[in-house]
Amino acid sequence: MVNSSILLSITTFAYLVCTVFYLAGAVFRFTPLLSLGTAFALVSLGIQTGGILLRWIESYQMGYGHAPLSNLYESLVFAAWAIMVIYVVLERRIGHKVLGVFPSLFAFLAMAYASFSKGVDSRIQPLLPALKSNWLIAHVVTCFLGYAAFAVSVGISILYLLQRAHKANPHPKGIFALLPNQKELDEFNYQMVLFGFMWLSLGIVTGSVWANSAWGNYWSWDPKETWSLITWLIYAALLHARTIQGWRGKRVAWLSMIGFACVMFTYFGVNFWLSGLHSYAR
Amino acid sequence: MKDKAGPWASVNAAFSSIKLTLFIFFFLALASIIGTLLPQGLALEEMRKHFSPGVFWWIETLSLHDLYHAAWFQFLLLVLALNLVVCSLDRFPRTMKLLSHREEGLSADKLTKFTHHRAYATSLSMEEVVSRLDEFISAQFAKLQPLESPPKFSAIAEKGGWSRLMVYVVHLSVLLILAGALIGSLYGFRGFMQIAEGQASNEVQLAQSRRVLVLPFEVRCDNFEVSFYDTGMPREFRSDLSILKEGLEALRQPVYVNDPLTYEGVTFYQATYGGVLKEIELELTDKESGRIQRITLPFRETSTIPGTEDRIQVVEYQKEFSNFGPAAGIVVLKKGQEPTGSWILIDRPDFHGNRIGGYQVKVLKAESGYYTGLQVKRDPGVWVVYIGFVALLVGIGLCFYTSHRKLWVLAEPDSGGHGETRVIVAGRTSKNGVAFEREFQDLCDRLGGVLIVK
Ligand code: HEM
Repeated sequence: MVNSSILLSITTFAYLVCTVFYLAGAVFRFTPLLSLGTAFALVSLGIQTGGILLRWIESYQMGYGHAPLSNLYESLVFAAWAIMVIYVVLERRIGHKVLGVFPSLFAFLAMAYASFSKGVDSRIQPLLPALKSNWLIAHVVTCFLGYAAFAVSVGISILYLLQRAHKANPHPKGIFALLPNQKELDEFNYQMVLFGFMWLSLGIVTGSVWANSAWGNYWSWDPKETWSLITWLIYAALLHARTIQGWRGKRVAWLSMIGFACVMFTYFGVNFWLSGLHSYAR
Repeated sequence: MKDKAGPWASVNAAFSSIKLTLFIFFFLALASIIGTLLPQGLALEEMRKHFSPGVFWWIETLSLHDLYHAAWFQFLLLVLALNLVVCSLDRFPRTMKLLSHREEGLSADKLTKFTHHRAYATSLSMEEVVSRLDEFISAQFAKLQPLESPPKFSAIAEKGGWSRLMVYVVHLSVLLILAGALIGSLYGFRGFMQIAEGQASNEVQLAQSRRVLVLPFEVRCDNFEVSFYDTGMPREFRSDLSILKEGLEALRQPVYVNDPLTYEGVTFYQATYGGVLKEIELELTDKESGRIQRITLPFRETSTIPGTEDRIQVVEYQKEFSNFGPAAGIVVLKKGQEPTGSWILIDRPDFHGNRIGGYQVKVLKAESGYYTGLQVKRDPGVWVVYIGFVALLVGIGLCFYTSHRKLWVLAEPDSGGHGETRVIVAGRTSKNGVAFEREFQDLCDRLGGVLIVK
C-alpha cells in the first residue's frame, strides 16, 4: 500500500539525483544531463505533490483532519516543494537550466533534514486549538513561497559571485561557460527578490490578520514576527538600494545572502533559541 | 520645493534622502534583533539581577527591556514616516510630469543610442510606412501618438504609465499602517479578564499598565469546557459568555480560540483557562482539645471556625499541586498571632502534612470548576491598518507585474540610398528589462515583416 511517507522518502532521493544531474551537466558542460535534471525535477515534484496530498488525506483518516502545514516536518516538505515549483517556472521562462544546481540542492537538503534529523517529528499530529483556522494555510503557504523565492535568489547570487570571481578568465570553463551573463543573473536575482518580497509581505499580513482574529493583536513583537519584519526590512533595503541608489550585482548578491540568512534564522533560529507564540511549531 | 533656500531646504533634503531610508531600515532591523535577543516586558529590577552594572546601565538608559515601546524606537518610526512623506511629495510632481511629458522632435542619433532599438530601410513610400506603422503598433502595442508629421514622421506609443504610480500606493500603505497603529494605541486598549464559571465581571486588567479598566457592561462566564485528543493534547477550549447590560442579558455567545465575541467595539478572545474552587467542606481537628468541627467555605470568603475566635479562608486553589492532585491554599488567622497558611491536599484526606496552625485539616468535599482567561481589546485603528495591508499587497503586486513601456518611432526619407524610407524604433521600460528586451525584439521582428525590409 502506497502511503505518504513512502512517497516523500522517494522524493528525498529523487531530489538528490536531480541535484547530481544538474551539477554534472553544469560541471561537464553537457546539456543533455541538464535536461535530465529538469525531467527529474518535474518527476520529483509530481511524486512530492502526491505525497503531500496523501498526507492530507491520511490526517483525515486519523480523525485529525488538517492541511499538512502544521509542524516543522510538514513545513520543511512544503519548503522543498515551493523551491522546486518556483525554480521550474523560472527555468521555463528564462531557459537557463544551469541555475537548477542550487534550488535542487536546497530542496534535497530540506527533505533530508526533515526525514533524517532526530529533532524533527514526522508523525501526523493533531492540531492545537490555536492553529485551527483557515488562516493557517494562507499564512504558511504565502510565507514559504516567499522563503522559497529567496532561496532561489540565493542560488543565483552564489552563481553570480562565483562567475564574477572567474571573470578574469577570458575562456571560462565548466559551469561558467553555460551561465547567463552577469547582467542577466543580476536581473533574475532582482526578479526573484521582488517576487519573494511580495509573498513575504502577504505572509506577514496574513499572519497579522490571523493573530488579530485569534488573539486580538495584529502585532505583538513576538520573536518570530519580529524576525520576519527584520527579513522584510533587509529586502526592502535591497530593493531601494537597487532601484534608487543604483546598486547592482555584487552588493545586491551579498544583500540577498544576508536576507536569506535572516530567513533561516526566522525559520530555525527563533524556534531553537528564542521562545514565543510560534514555539508550538517546533 | 527643491529650489527653496535656507534651513527648510536642508531639512527637506535630509528627509527626502534615500540614504536616510536605508539607514532607518538597517537601524530598525538592528534594534529589532536586540529586542528579540533580550527578553522583553520584564521589570527593570528583574533585569538588574541578570546583567552586570555596565550592561544594565545601557538597558536602563535605552529602555532595552521594553524596546519596541521606547521613545527612541517610536521616534525612528516617526522619522521613517516623515522620510516617506517628504520623499513622496518631492517625487510625485516629477512622476506626473514624466507621465504627461511630450517629446518634441526625435532624431535618428538620439534613438540609436537607446539600449533597445532597431533600424529598418524599406522601399515603401513615407505615406505607406506611416499608415502601416500606425496600424501595426496601435494594434500590437499601444495607440501610436504622432509628434511630427511628414516629411519627417515621429511618434510615441506607451502603456502601463499608471504602474509608475504604484510605488506611491505602496508608500501610502505604509503610512496608513503606521497611522492605524497610532490610532489604536491612542484610542484603544488591551487587557485581560479572568472570570470563574457562574461569575460576572466588568474589570479588565490592562496590559501596558497596572491599571484596571471598568467596562460599561458585565461579562458572565456561564460555562467553560475543554476537550482533549486521545494523545492528551487539548482539542478545543470553549467559554459560554453572556453580556449583561444594566443587569439584563444582552447577548449570549460561545467563544472559542480563533473565534472571539465582539460587543460595543470590545472583543473577547479565548486566551487561557484554569481550575477554581467554588466551595469546600472541611473537617478541622483541634490538636490540643481534640474537638472536631465541620465547616463549609466558599472560595476566598472568610468564616469563623465555630466555637472559636479563629478565622479561616481559602485563598488559593491548584488543580494539580506538584503531582499530588488538587490542593487548596488555606489560611488561619488566630487572634494576636501571625496568620499561618498551608497547601491542603484535597484527594489525600489522611496525609499528615494537612495541617495549619493547631488544626489537622481533612477535606470532606470540594466543588471545583473552571475559570476562563479572556484577552480583551478595543482597537478603533485596526481598519486603517487593514486598508493599509490591502493597499500594500495590491501596490507591491502591481509594482512587480506591471511596467511602464514606451516606444519611440521615427520615419524619414532615406538619404543614405538604401531605399525609400528609413525607420527607427526604440523602446524603454521602467523595469524588467530582460522581459522587455524579448517583447521588443519580437515586436521588431514582426514589424520587419510588415515593412517588407529590403
Ligand atoms: C517600509 C517602508 C517602505 C516600503 C515597504 C517601500 C516599498 C517600496 C517598493 C516595493 C518599491 C518598488 C521597488 C522596485 O520597484 O524595485 C519602492 C520604491 C521606492 N521607494 Fe520605497 N518603501 C518604503 C519606504 C521608503 C522611504 C522611507 C522612501 C523615502 C526616501 C522611499 C522611497 C522610494 C523611492 C524613491 C522608490 C523608487 C520609485 C521609483 O521607482 O520611481 N521608500 N519602495
